[in-house]
Amino acid sequence: MHGEPVRYVDMAAQAGLTAQMPNGGDGEKRWILETTGSGAAFFDYDADGLPDAFLVSGDGGSNRLYRNLGGGRFEDVTESAGLSSEGWGQGVCSGDFDNDGWPDLLVTYWGPNRLYRNVGGTRFERVPIPDRDRYSTGCAFLDVDKDGDLEVFIANYLVFEPASAPEPGANPYCFYRNLPVACGPRGLAFARNELLWNEGTGRFTDVSDSSGIASPSRNYSLGAVTGDFNADGWTDIYVACDRTPSILYINQGDGTFRDEAVLRGAAFDEHGEALSGMGIAVGDFDRDGHTDLFRTNFSDERSTLYHNRGNGDFDDVTVAVGMGVNTRFVGWGCAFLDADNDGWQDVLLVNGHVFPEVERLVDSDLSYRERSVLYRNLEGRRFEDISQQAGPGIAEPRAARGLALADVNGDGRLEVLINSQNEPPALLAQVGGSAGEWLVLQLEGRDSNRSAIGAIATVRTAGGTQRREVRSGGSYLSQHELRLHFGLGRDRTADVEVVWPSGVRQGIEGLIAGQAHTIREEHSGG
Amino acid sequence: MRASSTKAHAGAASEWPAPKTVTWPRTGRRRALASIGALLLLAAQPGRADRDLVEGLRLFEAGEYTRAAERFAASEDPRANTLEAVAKASIGQCQDALSDLSIRAAGPSDPYVSKLAALAVARCSIAEKRFDAGLSTLSELLKLQPEDPDVLYEIARLHLKGWNEAVAAMFAKAPASFRVNQLSAEIFEIQGRYDEAVREYRKAIEKAPATLNLRYRLGRAILMRSHEPSALEEALEQFRAELQLNPHDAVAEFQVGQILQVLGKAEEAMSHLERAVELDGEFPEALVALGKENARLQRHGRAIELLEKALELHPESEPAHYSLMLAYRNAGRRDDARRMQEALDRLQAPQEGEFSEFLRRIGEAP
Repeated sequence: MHGEPVRYVDMAAQAGLTAQMPNGGDGEKRWILETTGSGAAFFDYDADGLPDAFLVSGDGGSNRLYRNLGGGRFEDVTESAGLSSEGWGQGVCSGDFDNDGWPDLLVTYWGPNRLYRNVGGTRFERVPIPDRDRYSTGCAFLDVDKDGDLEVFIANYLVFEPASAPEPGANPYCFYRNLPVACGPRGLAFARNELLWNEGTGRFTDVSDSSGIASPSRNYSLGAVTGDFNADGWTDIYVACDRTPSILYINQGDGTFRDEAVLRGAAFDEHGEALSGMGIAVGDFDRDGHTDLFRTNFSDERSTLYHNRGNGDFDDVTVAVGMGVNTRFVGWGCAFLDADNDGWQDVLLVNGHVFPEVERLVDSDLSYRERSVLYRNLEGRRFEDISQQAGPGIAEPRAARGLALADVNGDGRLEVLINSQNEPPALLAQVGGSAGEWLVLQLEGRDSNRSAIGAIATVRTAGGTQRREVRSGGSYLSQHELRLHFGLGRDRTADVEVVWPSGVRQGIEGLIAGQAHTIREEHSGG
Repeated sequence: MRASSTKAHAGAASEWPAPKTVTWPRTGRRRALASIGALLLLAAQPGRADRDLVEGLRLFEAGEYTRAAERFAASEDPRANTLEAVAKASIGQCQDALSDLSIRAAGPSDPYVSKLAALAVARCSIAEKRFDAGLSTLSELLKLQPEDPDVLYEIARLHLKGWNEAVAAMFAKAPASFRVNQLSAEIFEIQGRYDEAVREYRKAIEKAPATLNLRYRLGRAILMRSHEPSALEEALEQFRAELQLNPHDAVAEFQVGQILQVLGKAEEAMSHLERAVELDGEFPEALVALGKENARLQRHGRAIELLEKALELHPESEPAHYSLMLAYRNAGRRDDARRMQEALDRLQAPQEGEFSEFLRRIGEAP
């Protein structure tokens, strides 16, 4: 599928996604808090089959819920849905924690986090959670013990209080290339991550300590995502960490987790150095059936691609696959996506420097607003940077942070929602290009959690086998739609097997390409 | 380690100080010596230090060196002569002070007085541009007080002074020399002005095309100048040109290998890394790079052999530990991998007393 190249244009304004998303200073930033927000999500809150858009706001604005009206149009329903907000919003994730068929929402904050129950697809109400006042970032829903109820993982970045935080230039951790800038994360105290246990009665209990989630104590946690990385049937958690080793929580199968990132090769870069991890994408780029990781990092670093050896051990293959050439950008939101539907997952990342002050640098090719990067997957062997040919949507510079994917209009091509600092959102849609066949799967759990988080779908066609998992969290503090998208190349039918968290295996043969299919979990009894 | 290989270990930014004339930090000197004066006072037994000595020290601490010298001259304390000379040296009367100071500095008197005397001798020598004499005095003093910041500072200052003198002489006497361009380029590199560094290296190469190391440095400056992927090809050309001049340059071979890896030419890269190790079998970075490449190709035995050697050569190397940990892991030697992980953890743990320890204490409890 390497004919006419994929091209993206920004359709946000035409689609009605117009609200400015404030996030601290634009010319300079005093606090690190102004640099980290915010995330974006696609989730179908009204279950009409059309993914809706949610954007998290920094201080001075409100989070926004845009209902997908179809035909590429959205309507701002924030107020009627009860989601008007204020404060320093950071991340977002989605999952149906009460299994009522209406996907719920968690929004993280510097301050109390907010868990919203979706009431009948019309409005949201806050649910109390045992949460302390923190600087929370990434989050994810996952069924830790496979009982059908979704637990909540929350990543916490660091301890920040404006009253005691040093000013730009106050100490050596408050400079960038000799410019005084917002201090941190180095020089600021570490925070620990949280796990809230779903008691199944609408109540959550903080099990951070007993579960081992709070054990890592020297990490600045940002993006988080779920996945069964060691293929043992239990959902694990990966956390991209800033200036510290990233965390790979391996689910021990007894309600506890252990961070095994270092020995498994997913904590550092290839030199054993902790990078500035921001966002995280999960996919199987070489279609070997194992879950690989892509993590965005800082400028003068490379984004990291970790190849899964099959048992949850990873090798850093960034340079080997051709992703070593880009070192300019500060990467945030990211995703594996099959942009041209050729059956091979490409990689998209959005960028934007942390410090607006870099504009003052002389003799530097860094800038605050940066273009995006699109890598085309060359059949699992290498990646080619096709950003320059990928249209104005990719070339446009932004101070981007959150990124979420969904097939907004049901055409089999994934749209890209980008939340940038102090800008209206972008909605990148494809124009032109020679795309292949496709298939979208919506999985619905019954014995397993209703959102099917942790379910794994394997799609077999004449062209090969692909595997995807339903995940919560991911990208940078963001949530992709939970439906699974497959590019099929020239194949027009596919056989599908779903392995549900409950252990049920379910096969469907001869699914027709070019459609979205809903697959409901069969009871283990049949 | 051959001279060529040292390039890989010396960061460009740390090799040369900025070409500024360093002026003596007057307040710093006063503070340093004042503390020594206070020590002298404390060390004096009651009644032993006469009033002139005490008053002289007070004036010395206040920076009134002329009056201090007068009071020291009036003192009968056995240390007063030396202190008088130190005070005179402080106001530039080196001719008067030097002979007495030299004797006192070498003598078995009070160590604080000896140090003051030796430092004054060194300063006077530097002021008179007798750098060898100054260095000799300071070197002797360093043997006695190897961790003394005053002594280390004076040595650094001496080298800086000498560097300034040499640079000034070169610019004055051979302004058209390629060395002027080379040095300018190196200074621009330190200052992060890579465009200008590249320009100066190119001028130097134009004037002295057969000179070793210029193209290597140019290649590095090109890489530092730009994040554009095209800079890789441009730098590669320079490293290859360096190899044309000196086919035995292990570091240039290493750089070529590294860039070829990024450009996706793994096989070609491998041959350059092998050549780098062949040229210099004690080049840790090349051993690690070659070890990792072998690991990537599942040649576990060879990878482990190379990485163990790198670690032996550089036991504190985090990349060597990390790469060896993964090589053991991939070879199925899980216990060895864990042992290596523990060693890496120790290396990466923040040192006690660092700011990070403070952070750990104020960070969240579990």
